[in-house]
Amino acid sequence: MPTLPPGFRLQRETNTEEFFINMGPQHPSTHGALRLALRMDGETIVELVPHFGYIHRGMEKQAESMSYLQYIALSDRQDYLTAIQNNLGVVIALEKGMNVGVPEKGEYIRVMLQELGRIASHLVFFGCFGGDLGGQTCLLFGFKEREMIHDILEEVTGSRLTTNFFRPGGSRYDVPETFIPRVKAFLDHLEDSMRDYERFLSKNIIVLERSIGIGVLSKEDAIAYGCSGPVLRASGVNFDVRRVNPYSIYDQFDFDIPVFHNGDCYDRYKIRIAEIHESMKILRQCIDKFPKEGPWRSKEKPVRLPEGRYYSEIETAKGLYATYVVAATTGEKPYRIHTRGPSFPHIAALNKMAQGHKISDLVTIMATLDPVIPEIDR
Amino acid sequence: MGIINYAPKILDPIPGGKYVVNAIDYVVNWARANSIWPLTYGTSCCAIEMMSSSMARYDIARFGSEVFRSSPRQADLFILAGTITRRMAPAIQMLWEQIPGPKYVIAMGACTISGGPFIYDNYSVVRGAQNLIPVDVFVPGCPPRPEALFHGLLTLREKILKETCRHPWHEGKPKDVSTMDRYREAAKTWAALEEMKDEAMAEARAKFKEEHPDYKSAYKPVRVKKEDFPEVPRVPFKRFGLTQSELFAKLREKFPKVTVHTHSEDPIEDVVAAIPADRPLEVMVEPEDYLSIVEFVKSSPEFNMDYLIDVTAIDYDDHFDMVTMLRSLEHGHKLFLCVQMKKDFSIPEEKRATSLLASVKSISHLYPGAEVKEREVYDMFGINFEGHPDQRRIFLDKDFVGYPLRKDFTHPQMIRRPV
Repeated sequence: MPTLPPGFRLQRETNTEEFFINMGPQHPSTHGALRLALRMDGETIVELVPHFGYIHRGMEKQAESMSYLQYIALSDRQDYLTAIQNNLGVVIALEKGMNVGVPEKGEYIRVMLQELGRIASHLVFFGCFGGDLGGQTCLLFGFKEREMIHDILEEVTGSRLTTNFFRPGGSRYDVPETFIPRVKAFLDHLEDSMRDYERFLSKNIIVLERSIGIGVLSKEDAIAYGCSGPVLRASGVNFDVRRVNPYSIYDQFDFDIPVFHNGDCYDRYKIRIAEIHESMKILRQCIDKFPKEGPWRSKEKPVRLPEGRYYSEIETAKGLYATYVVAATTGEKPYRIHTRGPSFPHIAALNKMAQGHKISDLVTIMATLDPVIPEIDR
Repeated sequence: MGIINYAPKILDPIPGGKYVVNAIDYVVNWARANSIWPLTYGTSCCAIEMMSSSMARYDIARFGSEVFRSSPRQADLFILAGTITRRMAPAIQMLWEQIPGPKYVIAMGACTISGGPFIYDNYSVVRGAQNLIPVDVFVPGCPPRPEALFHGLLTLREKILKETCRHPWHEGKPKDVSTMDRYREAAKTWAALEEMKDEAMAEARAKFKEEHPDYKSAYKPVRVKKEDFPEVPRVPFKRFGLTQSELFAKLREKFPKVTVHTHSEDPIEDVVAAIPADRPLEVMVEPEDYLSIVEFVKSSPEFNMDYLIDVTAIDYDDHFDMVTMLRSLEHGHKLFLCVQMKKDFSIPEEKRATSLLASVKSISHLYPGAEVKEREVYDMFGINFEGHPDQRRIFLDKDFVGYPLRKDFTHPQMIRRPV
């Protein structure tokens, strides 16, 4: 048996000649700086080894010399598609330490921005999924509605992408008066265009042929690898932090957790489309119940955490985003902050999904995992 | 590049030839400046803004750059969208070398200009793309808006229009990666300049006071009254699954050595009962019990910890705390196992920074997802995992010296944050 490159461990006897292909770190369909080493038999993938670290920026080392508030700005740059959700994940952990609550209006602002962020992330998925399958038009479609969300975010937070918005006890600013009418107008627009988009992609014969039965992740494997979010729910596990450990005021809304059972690429696509509809449901309820009066943040306190370890978890568009804050002494600086991003286990499970498929199917599988590499490498 | 650079040599001796040369310049520049094809490259946040700029709202096609090429051999423009790490640097130089000339580089975002938010206490980020390859245009912002990128593109266009056959595009050289860090020198020069400026200002102020002894500023500070917010209590946490006391009692029945971290002298049961409901139970575990406890909580139907959230570690002066976060999908309770590992101080002091200081059993055969997480802990802290199938560095190069998340880690390129 010849010696294999590092990472490969499948031993098998073959009559064909195997060869190795390097995919990345600069490759359009690895969604960032990720390198995949592929062991091929003809055009079939025998084994796959991901190599991380091409965008490892040492955020956790930096966090040790930062104050808690400064780290919120760094969390934007982890998963930049759901920056507004990462902010909340960090802030909830800090709130647990400081023991401050959020007034009702502040909670509504949080939930609404969370769901807008979720829709924005899923629209990018929609675009990239279509784009990776060869339909560049989908990219244009997905980003069309996304720009409207960016307009709303820019009006509220002052930034398009890296929002840095939430603070312990509420948020940085109150929402402007135009916020609710704009969200309402956006939802009406999105409902129409989602109907078009689904007709465009969901029954498309190319999409069906290239995604049904491709990259199947069984329920057991999905749990064992620690997958979360749409990837786990597409494999038939009903797990959503908004339902099992409700944070903010998610327990006051009526919405469903879509669960699919095949665990293939098509289910992972369908589940995200279904989640956009659920998010729209939550947003509509928010608009109806949004308190016009009242404070939007609680009394400002210095961000000092007492000694202890604080843990928070939220459901971002990608899955379970957990923050673990260690405060060794009471003060303004953390001893250590660790972030658990949802994409890391997904790429770890990629080998399981891609084995036995053709190399072009790997592009589909990568697209449906919707990974963001800076959040893996941090 | 190419045959048109010889045009002046051939045409200048001919009467009226220089007008033909100018006409050739005009046509070539018109073609080049209106079809700058960028390379599809992006590492982080700026890549999304680069994508946005090529979509319907902003429409980069107005400037002739809509053809994003996946192969560097077909591209003219290298938009460096996103942070550049030391591990990515050779790949960037290679990509740049593969682009045929004339080639142009736009450094997009704060990270590619100076390191951006990742300047201080950082061991992996390259502080500025100009340390790797020649850069034509810098676009500031974090991330820059699409309009800013377009401004950069138009600036580049102006630069291209100034090229002629007589002063053609000139190929720079990629920089040597080993001499990358010129930040310190620049910082020193900057500090000296600042000092000079301060002195000059102080002199001017003293002079002004001498000349106008009874001058009073008309400026009055206006303070906006802060809004008065009430204090809001936290919403009570909704618990699922077993309580912390039940979890602890059941675990203690089987493993009497487990405790929780406490400074008080109360009985341990009271300490556990006093933990707030929204904080997961974190039990201290002996390293030799660790594997059997994980096996037990995974297989026992009462616990049923089938989901591994994360494995991480914390470095203290004389020990590591390794935290394994487990969760039961069925019941909903969480259990954090904290393994306290004494550092191996028998290793001579000069070798400690580069050697593995503690060892623990791997749980990757129970949870396949733990494999990459344990590799991360090994990479960042230098903790050995016995029985790990593939223990390699995961985020850093294999010849990287030291373990970055240890508190005493030093790196020649690391700049301490000024306090």
